[in-house]
Parts: sequence; C-alpha cells; structure tokens
Amino acid sequence: MTLVLVGTGLFLSGGLVALFVRPSFKGTVSAIFAAAAQPFLLLPAGRVLAGGGVEALTIPLSFPLGPAALRLDPLAAFFTVIISLGGLGAAVYSAGYMKMYRDRPASLSGYAFFSGLLCSAMVLVVTVQHALLFLVVWEIMSLASFFLVGFDHSKEDVRKAAVYYLVAMQVGAACLLTAFAWSSSSSGSPDFASFGTVFAGTGLAPTALFLLFFVGFGLKAGFVPFHTWLPLAHPAAPTGVSALMSGVMIKTGIYGILRILLLGGGANPVLGYIVFFLALATGVFGVMNAIAQPDLKKLLAYHSIENIGIIGLGIGLGMIGLSLRNDAIALFGFFGALLHVFNHFTFKSLLFYGAGVVYMKTHTRNIELLGGLARSLPLTSGLFLVGSAAICGLPLFSGFISEFGLFSGLIRGLTVGGAAPRAAVLLGLAGLAFIGAMAVLCFTKVYGVCFLGSPRVPHREAISDGSALLLGPMFALTGFILLIGLCFPVILPFLDRLVRRFVPGGAGPEWAQLVTLFQNVGLALAVLAGMLVFFIALRRLLLRRKSVVLFKTWDCGYQGESPRFQYTASSFASPFLQLVAPLVPFTHRHRLPDGLFPEHASLESHAFDLVEIGLIRPLGAAIRRALGLLTWIQTGRTQNYILYGLVFLIVLIVWIIGVR
Amino acid sequence: MSRLLGLFVLLAASLFFTGLAARIKARWAGRQGPPLLQEVRDLRKLLGKGEVIGRTTSFIFRLNPPIQVAAMLFAALLVPVPGQRALLSFSGDFVLFAYALGLANFSAICAALDTGSSFEGMGASREASFLTLVEPAFFILLGSLALVTGQTSFSEILSRLDYGTGAAILVKALCVISLFLMLLVEGSRGPVDDPTTHLELTMIHEVMILDYSGPDLAFVVYAAGLKMVLIAALIANLLVPSNIGFGFGALAFAAALAVIAAGVGLVESFMARIRMSHVPQFIFLLPALALTVFGVLLFALRRGF
Repeated sequence: MTLVLVGTGLFLSGGLVALFVRPSFKGTVSAIFAAAAQPFLLLPAGRVLAGGGVEALTIPLSFPLGPAALRLDPLAAFFTVIISLGGLGAAVYSAGYMKMYRDRPASLSGYAFFSGLLCSAMVLVVTVQHALLFLVVWEIMSLASFFLVGFDHSKEDVRKAAVYYLVAMQVGAACLLTAFAWSSSSSGSPDFASFGTVFAGTGLAPTALFLLFFVGFGLKAGFVPFHTWLPLAHPAAPTGVSALMSGVMIKTGIYGILRILLLGGGANPVLGYIVFFLALATGVFGVMNAIAQPDLKKLLAYHSIENIGIIGLGIGLGMIGLSLRNDAIALFGFFGALLHVFNHFTFKSLLFYGAGVVYMKTHTRNIELLGGLARSLPLTSGLFLVGSAAICGLPLFSGFISEFGLFSGLIRGLTVGGAAPRAAVLLGLAGLAFIGAMAVLCFTKVYGVCFLGSPRVPHREAISDGSALLLGPMFALTGFILLIGLCFPVILPFLDRLVRRFVPGGAGPEWAQLVTLFQNVGLALAVLAGMLVFFIALRRLLLRRKSVVLFKTWDCGYQGESPRFQYTASSFASPFLQLVAPLVPFTHRHRLPDGLFPEHASLESHAFDLVEIGLIRPLGAAIRRALGLLTWIQTGRTQNYILYGLVFLIVLIVWIIGVR
Repeated sequence: MSRLLGLFVLLAASLFFTGLAARIKARWAGRQGPPLLQEVRDLRKLLGKGEVIGRTTSFIFRLNPPIQVAAMLFAALLVPVPGQRALLSFSGDFVLFAYALGLANFSAICAALDTGSSFEGMGASREASFLTLVEPAFFILLGSLALVTGQTSFSEILSRLDYGTGAAILVKALCVISLFLMLLVEGSRGPVDDPTTHLELTMIHEVMILDYSGPDLAFVVYAAGLKMVLIAALIANLLVPSNIGFGFGALAFAAALAVIAAGVGLVESFMARIRMSHVPQFIFLLPALALTVFGVLLFALRRGF
C-alpha cells in the first residue's frame, strides 16, 4: 500500500515539478514522472489481482476525520491499473499534443499541475475507505478536472461547458454527501466496512440509500438522465484530458456503484431492474445521439455514454442474477461489466487520441469537412480503425469478449426465473443487439467519412502523420485490444478473484464454466483469424501475374469528379435518424434558392439532446423561477445582512438551550 | 465426417442458390432463364481475370473481399445440419454467428465508402440503417428459442424443437417466416432490394460492390451467396425433423435449401420492390414477428406447456 502512495505522490510531484520548468519541458517532465509512477502502482495492483491478498494502511488522522483506512483490494487494484495506464498515456500524448499551445506557458503549467493532481486524486478515490476523506479526494478530482476542461477558457463555449460540468459535479457531490452522512450516522462510523449493517436493515431505508448513492455516482459516470454535462465537457477539453476523463474518470462513478454493491447495497430485487433498464436506456440514447453529431469529439463523448450503459447493463444483470440466486447469471453480468470497463478505457482513449491527431493536423472537428485521411495519416487511420472495430464489438478485438460475456449472461437469464425476469432479460438482449448495430452504423460513418474516400475540403497544407509521442500511446492501447481480443484466456486469471467477489460463495464451478467457454471462443476466433489470413494470401496469389490497374472510380460510368459528390455524414445517418425522429429532435434552418438567378442558398441542421431540452432546461427554468421568489432577501445593504446573522444566532441559541 | 459433409453441402449450395432463384423467376415470367451452372462459370471466369481498382480507394477496399469470404465461411462452421452438431458448437455460439456477419457488414460498408462515390455511399447508408432493425430481431428470435428449449447453442436449440403440440408448430411457422424475411433483407432480395439492377431507386447491396472486378468480385459474390445459404440453412433446420438419419438428413437438407431458393424466386416474381421509403416499414415486420414469437412462448411457458 505504501508503494501505491509513492506512485500517487510521483504523479503529483510530476505536476508540481512541471510548474517550475521551461514550457517546452513541462510535458516531458510530466511524462517522465508518470512513467516512474507505473511500477509503484502496477506491481502491487497486479499482485493483489493475481491473488496476493489485500493490502491495507491506516492513516492516523485527528478529529474530525479520525483514523482513515486505505485498502487495495481486487476492485481497487483493477481500477488502479486503469488509472495508472490512463495517466501515463495521457501524459505521453499531451507531451506531443500540447505543443500546439506552446505560446501559453501559464496555461501549460496549470495543465501539467492539474493533470498530476487528477491522476493522484483518482488513485486515492479508489483506495480510500473513509467517508469524509473519500468526499475530499472526490471533490479534488472534480475540481482538478474542471480546471482541465476549462483550459481553453478564452472561448465562450469552453467556459460554458466547464461551468456546466462544475455544477453537475456539485449536484453529484451533494447527493454523495447526503448519502455518506446518512450511512455514517446510521452505522456510527465513517469507515466503509461499517456500512454493511445499514444496508442489511429493513424497510425502505437501504433502498433509498442505494438510490441516492446511484444518483451521485451516476452523475459522474454519465447515466441518462444525468449525462448532459458529458457531451459539453469532453469536446471542450484538450484531447489528452478528454481521453483521461472519458476513459478513466467516468469509471470512478462505476467504481463507486460497485463498491456500494460489495458493501451490501442493492439487495432489493427491484433495484437490479432499475439499474438494468436505466442502463439500457442510457446505451440506446447515447448511441442514437452519437449518430446525429457531426463533431468528432462530441460523437465520441456520446459513445462513452453508450458504453457506460453497456457496463451498467452488466451490473444490472449481475444484480438481477444475485436476486434470482443464480450464480452463473450474476458472474457473467459482473464479468462483462468489469471487462468492459477496461476495454472501453483502451478503445475510447485510442479513439480520442486519434481524433486529437486529426484535429491537430486539420484544425477542424467537423467530420463533414474531412475525408481521405487514410492516405495522409496512414498510421493514425489504421489505429483508429482498430479502435472503431473494437468499440463495435467485432470479433478478433477486445470489445467482442466483454459483449460476449454480457450476451452469455443474458442468454442464461432467459432460461431461469419467472415470466417477468425473462421478459426483462429478453429486452436487454434485444437492446444490446440494437446498440451494437447502431454502433456499427455510427463508426462506419465516422471512419468512412473521415478517413476514406477523398478530402471533401482540400487541405491547405500538406499534412504528415502524428509524431511518435502521439502515436506511441495509441500503439500501446492497440496492443491491449489485440491481446484481449485474440489471447483472452491469458488475462482470465487476473479477473478471477475480482469477479468472484461479487457472488456470495465464490461461484467456483461457474467460474470454471466461464473459463472453458472462453477457451472455446478463443479457439473459434483463432480459426476465424486463420481463415482471414488464408483468404488474404489466396487473393494475393490469384492476382500475382494478373494486371491490376489503378483508374478512376468506375461507379457505373458516372462522370462526377469532385470529392464533394461523396456521401456526407448527415446523409449517411439520415435514413436511420428519420426512423428515430421523436428521440433525436432536429432543427432545420434553410434559405431556398429563389428567383431566376439564385445566388444564395443554405441549409443548417442541428441535433438536440432530448434530455437536455426536455428535462434539464425546463427544470433549470423552474428552479430559477422558484428561487426568484426569494430575491427580496438580497437587498444589497450590509445592515440587512448583519440583521440576518443576528437573527440566525438568536434562533440557534434558543434552539440549543430549548432542545438540550 | 458427417459434419464435413454438411459443411460441403452448404458451400456447394451457395453456388446454386441465386441461380435457382433466378431460374424460377425467369420461368414464372415465361422466359428460359440462365442455366443453373452459370454462376459457377461466372466465378471461374472472374477468378482468372485481373482487376481495375479505383484511385481513391485505400487498403480497406482490398481487404474487404477476403474478410467477406472468411467471415461467411467461419459462420458456416457454426451452423448445424439436421441431425448433426455443427463443427464449432458452444454455448452462445449464435452470438458469434451474428457478430461474424456483423464483421462482414462493417467491412463491406467501409469498402463502399472508400470508393468516394455517392452511389456506393447511398447503398452503404441504407444497408447500415436496415441492419439496425434486423440484428435485434435475430437476437429476439434466437433468445425466444433458447428460452423454450432451455439450450444455448445453435445445434441444441434447433434440434430440440420438434413437431409436437400445436403451439410448437405455430412457433416453428412464425420462426420460419421471420427467418425468411431476414433472408430477404440480409441477402438484399426482393421486395427489399432488386438484385438485378443497381439504379438509384433500388440500390442497396448491388451498388456496394459496383467497383469490384476480377477475383475480388468473385469473392464478394460467393460470400453473398453463402450468407443467403446460411440463413436458409437455419430455416431448413427448422423444417427438417432432427431425428432423421444421416444420409436422408443431408438429402432432405439440400432439398429444403432448394425449396427456399425457389421460394425466394417466387416472392420476387409476385412482389415488385417496395418504394424505398416504405422499406423500413416492411423490415419492421421482422422485430414484430420476433416479439410475437416471444409473446407466444412466454404465454406457453406460463401455461406450462
């Protein structure tokens, strides 16, 4: 555990040292310290996951916190690995990416410092076991990310996004504060271990407490309807931060929910269904909105929401399995959810890094203006393709393994239980398939429009591929994706103890079943890979002595030459969006060509987030109206405010004397 | 050994499936129609030719045809023949089947966008949006069958559904109709798409392969035929009772595939292609039928059949 604290300290020191270094070295310093922190974090975490027992440390703090326990159990170790790798990737990537902002040394210092602070705070969030200390590091994490989101604060939309994000995080923190205060006072101690008694209680209290925790952590994770800050904050932040937030930080919300489950929360069967259906709605809503976005990073942000939905689906399925007392369903559900947490970290970070390279080279995030980047940025496009295929869950990549785990759990859920659980599980099955098909639609659109074909708007200058600093983390993440996709049985022993903790009794035989199943899947995938190689070779062989001529695209003799004739992203998505029109509202502004010699014509369409305009804005307006009735309190005169303070003191004294 | 024969039947049938459908269509219209071996001759001719490749394309375009054949061939390993287990069978294998088809679709759509032409982009867009309706329907259908049989693998699900009570026959009929609709959509046959042209009003699949030539075209055409045969094989598994002997099983299987091909041809003879804006409504039939199957099975479950 002390090693973990050393690693945390190294991340923070990297941020501090970077404050005093020359601007061109700040990124390098951060990266070096991040790399140095890796063995201190990864080795203890790996040892715990592989079965080395739990590591603990107690910090003797005085009042009001009391002695605070820090524990590295398998759940904390798993998330520590993700945070550590994510922090390293972001640091290395930013060393290359932030060269764009060389002219702002003060902002760069802030970036380096807050990145280091964010990573160290996240490690503490997953290891701290004391309610008040948890809230302190949680808040530090939120604030550090707020400053990182607002890096480019000269732009108005970035400022708005950052403030929106801050407000959302404070609402979440308020929920968590209430929940932690409630459980601490009920159980008598702020230590997590004592919360089990509160959750084991009778009546509505444990259910309400779980829901409060779920809302608080769900706001961080990005469940619908608490997701509205995500599509604003992630595009506004610089790419390294977007990747860190999307790949790592929102997972701390998932960590919170899982920790509450391990402490005994969520025992009520109804809660499992609530989580299940909310996650399903999150997944479907996220990907539908992603299809409608032309902004590359906003699209990826909505996909993060979709994947949080998939993870939540696994958690919900696990909870349903626990309430049905079926160990196999619970095991597969939690397995799918946990593996997807890691998988999503790998491919979402990869996709964001790729989007960052595209932005760096083309200076636009609007995919309608891109195209043909596979020729100018070959390595980036190849890696982006791997990320796209992985996020769609295609076989041979890691996304398939976690989604297959979820599907296996859902299929088993169809064979047990009464009519109601089976109907719910079938809806989940159909929903997950629907999400997968929509993800294919979205990523073929993104990859095809950005990287394939020809440039829709010609490049102003020649562009070359990203530097080693930018591509390095992308290659490493691709390595993870291919490792998990092709050689998954190698990774299984690391998940053994972690996943089985969620099922009472350890579920030994069911785990053995899971291992054999994935060995069979691995064999099947090896056959697929072999066939692929064979047919690629066969094609080469068949074309060996034949003529292969490069010519204009045939297109059945069509003579349109301009790249503007290519299909655009909005056209590609429009048949689907017309089908789901009520769920993804659009506004169109057009000026039609008129007159005999029309000069000007334009069409502007904009997609809206249904939850944002249907729920959050009316809610905000209603709150503002209600609070507007109280504006008479703020008279602006100091005498009134002193009077208010005096009245409060008198009431307080009377209450204390009267009550005591 | 017998399983390999089943696989061989599948691979051979995909050479004749589209030919048989075209022949039935032609005969119905009073024409002679192309000979059944025409497709074999076409494929052999294409395999011996060179290629012309568009300048705007990248490696995706060249990678797509091998991916198509490999994915379909792999999916063929997962499909059982009546009375036999598939070559690759494990719990949840139909998920891998659906995702192997998904891999092929992803690759095909990317290759279509790679050519930089609006025709192919149009076909890709329509294909992608129709797939979002077909995938959940397939999973609902297979999920319902898994629910009623208590099994989780293709071979076991399809072999445990025998002609027993009236409810079983009704469920089988509904499943056959749903899978036949899925065959029409995934195989891009009428009334969803017109396989004989690639004009703007009709194009979905035909236009996506417009720029392919030579061995690439051979790969893609064969893969498309194999995809149709795989879905037809699922239907055949439902039609042919599973307790049939091995020899008769293979014959009955081939006969069932021929009947389904003829059915496709007949449907195309009777129905013109639906207006493009009405096609999604038609495809919505698939999830609707699948949910009906699920409802019937859930009802039967509660009554304790």
